[in-house]
Amino acid sequence: MGGSAPTPAQRLALARLADVLVAEGPGIPSASAVGVAGDLLDRCLVAAPSFSEPLLALLDEVPTGGLDDFVRWLEVERPGDFAVLSTTVVAAYYLSEEVRELIGYPGQQPSPLSVAAEPDYLDLLERVYERHPGYRGYT
Amino acid sequence: MAIFSKVYYFNMVMQGHQSNVVIIGAGASGSVAALRLAAAGFEVVCLEQGDWVGPADYMGAQPEAELAWIERWNPDPNARQGWADYPLTGDADVRPVMYNGVGGGLVQWAAMWQPLLASDFRVRTLDGVADDWPISWGDLADAYAQVAGDMSVSGLGGDPALPEMNPYPNPPIPIGKIGRVAAEGMDRLGWHWWPGANAIASRRHRGLQACQRRGTCMTGCPENAKATPSLTHWPSAQAAGARLVTGVRVTEIPVDERGRVRGTVYRDRDGVEHFQPAQVVMLAANAVGTARLLLLSVSSRFPGGLANSSGLVGRRLMQHPYRTVTVVCDEPLDSWQGPWGQNIYSLEFAETHPDRDFLRGAKWMVMPHGGPMFAVAEYQEAHRHEGFEAVWGANFHRAANEVFGHAFTWGIQAEDLPEHDNRVLLDPSECDSSGLPAARIEYRVSENTRRMLDFNVARAVEAAEASGAVSTMVRDIWPTGIGHVLGTTRMGDDPESSVVDRWCRAHDVPNLYVIDGGVFVTGGSANPTATIMANALRVTDHMIEARASQKVP
Repeated sequence: MGGSAPTPAQRLALARLADVLVAEGPGIPSASAVGVAGDLLDRCLVAAPSFSEPLLALLDEVPTGGLDDFVRWLEVERPGDFAVLSTTVVAAYYLSEEVRELIGYPGQQPSPLSVAAEPDYLDLLERVYERHPGYRGYT
Repeated sequence: MAIFSKVYYFNMVMQGHQSNVVIIGAGASGSVAALRLAAAGFEVVCLEQGDWVGPADYMGAQPEAELAWIERWNPDPNARQGWADYPLTGDADVRPVMYNGVGGGLVQWAAMWQPLLASDFRVRTLDGVADDWPISWGDLADAYAQVAGDMSVSGLGGDPALPEMNPYPNPPIPIGKIGRVAAEGMDRLGWHWWPGANAIASRRHRGLQACQRRGTCMTGCPENAKATPSLTHWPSAQAAGARLVTGVRVTEIPVDERGRVRGTVYRDRDGVEHFQPAQVVMLAANAVGTARLLLLSVSSRFPGGLANSSGLVGRRLMQHPYRTVTVVCDEPLDSWQGPWGQNIYSLEFAETHPDRDFLRGAKWMVMPHGGPMFAVAEYQEAHRHEGFEAVWGANFHRAANEVFGHAFTWGIQAEDLPEHDNRVLLDPSECDSSGLPAARIEYRVSENTRRMLDFNVARAVEAAEASGAVSTMVRDIWPTGIGHVLGTTRMGDDPESSVVDRWCRAHDVPNLYVIDGGVFVTGGSANPTATIMANALRVTDHMIEARASQKVP
């Protein structure tokens, strides 16, 4: 992880902001409910260490109230900081195994392909061949 | 020394006592030349500013794979900011992207393997615009086949839009659900499509493993299934004696009193300067890096930059301006699965047509859509104008529900014709980590290209509808490019209107060659790597054949 580790206060601030961005939906939990401010945050900051400094600085200035207005203000007035915050929250959220299972995402897993069978599109391709006028300009 | 004895000396040293060919850049073209020359008995030194990278460096096998794009594997060198990355400055509608390391852009490429159209070599003759190449498709035919074998390409021959070619060495990668849906739409419209050819092994082949469909191709393949020169060329080149020096940056190509290059000056990471003598220098640093280095190499004989008597070094930069139409379907398409090459492609609108208000055309290709972060990013870009509530809070989940796993992308890359004022310059103030001027890019997307892209995007939306799309998401021209940089040292027969001749030897300097995409006369709409590598092979073979007449310092 780049820079210093998030403090408990910074993690708490992130959890509160994160739910403004990723609220609970039908059958799917909010960002804080899956722990985006815990281990998932740490994993994001290892993968993207340049986020650490601007994110932690931002979390130090989160107000106690008016979080919704703060996040909207951030999006308009400080788009760079908003991008760091929102990307971190989204990335951490989709690192959650619980969320991945709910949306049917196994991750970028290996899935061997087979080229043994004849392609099932040859009928379509035959029509391409028949209707194409041929290439131009060959010498 | 007389010419004869020079030639004798050249042949002597070629056979083994000191390095005699220096190649600058270990990417697509440099690796081809290094392997060919070393196998023919030449002593070769390749200078590469980046490092070796491989599966241990890639993040594709980690759960955090989608985050790889943000930093270490960001395709934009200005965002990545590694030691080997020089800044790209300037005011450009499209700013190039590139990777600097062993393999060059082929570390992060999508491995789409696409020969140029036959007409691409005769644009002036056929369409009355730009210039013809001094070579034809037929001059590259054998080399296309050779490099396709070396790169373990998987594909299906017989595309009627292209001249007849030898079969690819591996069967095509299955087009998958997204390819099938897209192909059915094209079939309904009666439009051209063909299974994509990719330099990704569909089965174990030579040094490559079979593709595992992780879909993380563009941040480096953790399975060693995607062709990249560190796997396909450098092991053999080094075994044949080629020496590859990494982590060094060439600062100048000096010339002797007769205007022949003497070798290269370079700096290592400690800032220590070295001189590598050479009989021949081959530039393979991509169309930005090569132009930059030529412009850096000023002397009393070449005050405007080396090999630049035409004034064309750095000019005519072409980049394939790029737009996308993402097709969202009801049915699950599992479209996070790879490979992230081209499932299918279309050349339906790649040629000039008299009824259109632009010349030349665009190539389309179907690609996967990535994981949930990609789905969110694109959904939000398409819907952000509707306000915060439309994409955040409880509505955040709409992207995952509606787009993730249900979408694919038609990528549309336009042939941008060469423009004199689209160019690479030396930046007057910003420098790289070695203190050398950054590359300044001045580039405008032409009206012809904008009309071409508007037309093709409209057709792609029709194709999406024919495929049963429930919605589409259309993106404007990408402000960062797709890694295709071409044209800044064009080839030609006339020294006043070209930088290198048909054998890619500088008109001004008889022992200097340029073998990267800078030599392209026009860009076509095809992904350029197949042609860059084939041309590098053609040129290198000629250089070997003509060694007896090669002039040297």
